[in-house]
Amino acid sequence: MLVEAVLFIPIVLALLIGTVELAKLTYTYHSLQKVMYSLARYVGTQQGVNFCDENDPMLVAAKNFALTGQTDTAENPSVAGLTPGMFQIRIERVDPATQQLSICDCSAIGCDASQGGLPPDFIVVSLTNGYTVRPVFLGFSVDPFPLRPSVRVPYGGT
Amino acid sequence: MATKFPINVTQAIVSPVGPRQPVSPGRPVRQAILSRAKRERGATAVQMLVILVPVAFGLIGFAVDLGMLYSAKSELQAAANAMALAAAQRLIGTDAATGAATLASQSTIETGTGFGNRYNFNANPVGQTTGSLTSVAPEPSFYAAVADARGGDNSTTVGGSAARHVTVSLTGEASLLFWSFLPLATERKTTIAARAVAGISAPLCTACGIEPYAIAAPDATDPVNFGFVPNIKYSFTYLCSGNPIPPLLAPGVQRVDYLLLNRLDPNALIFTDESSQVYRDLAGGLPGSTITTQACFTMNNPELVWANATPGACNALRVQPLVTAGLCGLDSRFESTTSASCTGIAEVDTLATIYPPDPDVLDYDIYTDYTGTGRRIITIPIVDVLTATNTMTVLGFRQFLISPTLGGTNISTNDTFGRFVAMYVGSVAPVRQGRFNGCQQAAGPGKVVLHQ
Repeated sequence: MLVEAVLFIPIVLALLIGTVELAKLTYTYHSLQKVMYSLARYVGTQQGVNFCDENDPMLVAAKNFALTGQTDTAENPSVAGLTPGMFQIRIERVDPATQQLSICDCSAIGCDASQGGLPPDFIVVSLTNGYTVRPVFLGFSVDPFPLRPSVRVPYGGT
Repeated sequence: MATKFPINVTQAIVSPVGPRQPVSPGRPVRQAILSRAKRERGATAVQMLVILVPVAFGLIGFAVDLGMLYSAKSELQAAANAMALAAAQRLIGTDAATGAATLASQSTIETGTGFGNRYNFNANPVGQTTGSLTSVAPEPSFYAAVADARGGDNSTTVGGSAARHVTVSLTGEASLLFWSFLPLATERKTTIAARAVAGISAPLCTACGIEPYAIAAPDATDPVNFGFVPNIKYSFTYLCSGNPIPPLLAPGVQRVDYLLLNRLDPNALIFTDESSQVYRDLAGGLPGSTITTQACFTMNNPELVWANATPGACNALRVQPLVTAGLCGLDSRFESTTSASCTGIAEVDTLATIYPPDPDVLDYDIYTDYTGTGRRIITIPIVDVLTATNTMTVLGFRQFLISPTLGGTNISTNDTFGRFVAMYVGSVAPVRQGRFNGCQQAAGPGKVVLHQ
């Protein structure tokens, strides 16, 4: 009986812990994806956002909202360790002639609102270096790797 | 304390494998079991490993599979939402609108930049086949009514100018990592689907990013068009008093007086000169702002004429410079060069580079033939009475397509009466932003909304 248990329990434990780790990864990725989408849609429906200024009040509020559900704080984010500085917001514009998307630079003819630039056509929200996870499997730590969710939404509308 | 089972229960605890060991009445159950276990030591472990492990692995893992599917579905839904919203923004009531909308929706999932929407842990492009997993992204379907769009009935789809709502349906295959360990599993992948409906909302009570021109309603009792006639070209003439009455500007066939409404921003950080501000307002609509009263107009609210754009006598040499600045802003929708009459506007060279002209600068007799991006559409407040000496009440908002001056591809910015021609188009295009403040109206421009 004892030998059976010794043989069997590690396998069951490995299964359980392995699946829990995988489930945790999935949950973390899903939460991150939700955060990206919330930020993209929130900021995409605001008027007068200056995407070229990291400290733009609307950008700050949008990041806080995506992280915590509140616009005035970034503490206690829904995903542990996620901070406003980790977000990357790429602003894009469509060439009417070719329909190709290209990054909208921070200039007057680009999307810099502080110089009178027009809003972008699309925004892409992602994490600059991803969200690093370190799964642990029966005491063995797998090499850390980043989760990289990304969401593109059109700017405008509600 | 060990439980003593009655004999009938002890007899029931038998293994289907191997011969039954006689159990003497009264013999402790525990002993019998231990004896059997000793004899079959190792057999259970093998059974457990062979039978239970794959089943347990499959069942436990299937829960993880479901989580992964849920996550992939969420990504696919985000992609569908983005496609529907992008398409709806291009629905401006022209024959070419649905084509432009389709292209815009596909922009959200393009793979050229590497930033298009994907699913399955952001690994698989939407609408393409990756390995053994196939995703399908059909062209959006367009509908005139939101109920039809929600229903998704193919028989109610419309094309071109009638399209007001769009439905996007995506499918994508996702791997089942653990499910396949179960004996009853036949597939190692399954198909997930996402559907999104977006379109133009109900009429707005507050419209933002629109143009600060006011015109009086010819018929305030007409709830749909305020007495304007679709596809009729109106000769917009800045309000003036006395004679001679300004003549029609071709190709306009009816005259309508207009005024520049006050949206001077005293706290502006850039383009502080009011001529620049007027240029910006007419070149691209009121700039976005968190201050609603600065960036928007609201129905039933009183409005005043821009202080330095008060109308003069019709026999004066020309309208005030701010009115001309407005025309210069409108002209930026046709050309990127600056007319001589616009050079007095502060920072006009910089301003002229900001606003790209519409790709389509042709004159049309029917609005639906227009193939541009909507840059030439202006949304303006309709007021009860046009007056420069009193407040005007906003009755609603309607849209016009600016026409080039007859025979040309731009408008005459040096017009002494501040005239330009625009075709009435109703409420066809979504405005940039707005709110529903509880007002009641039968028609009017809406904004892009995600219905589901």
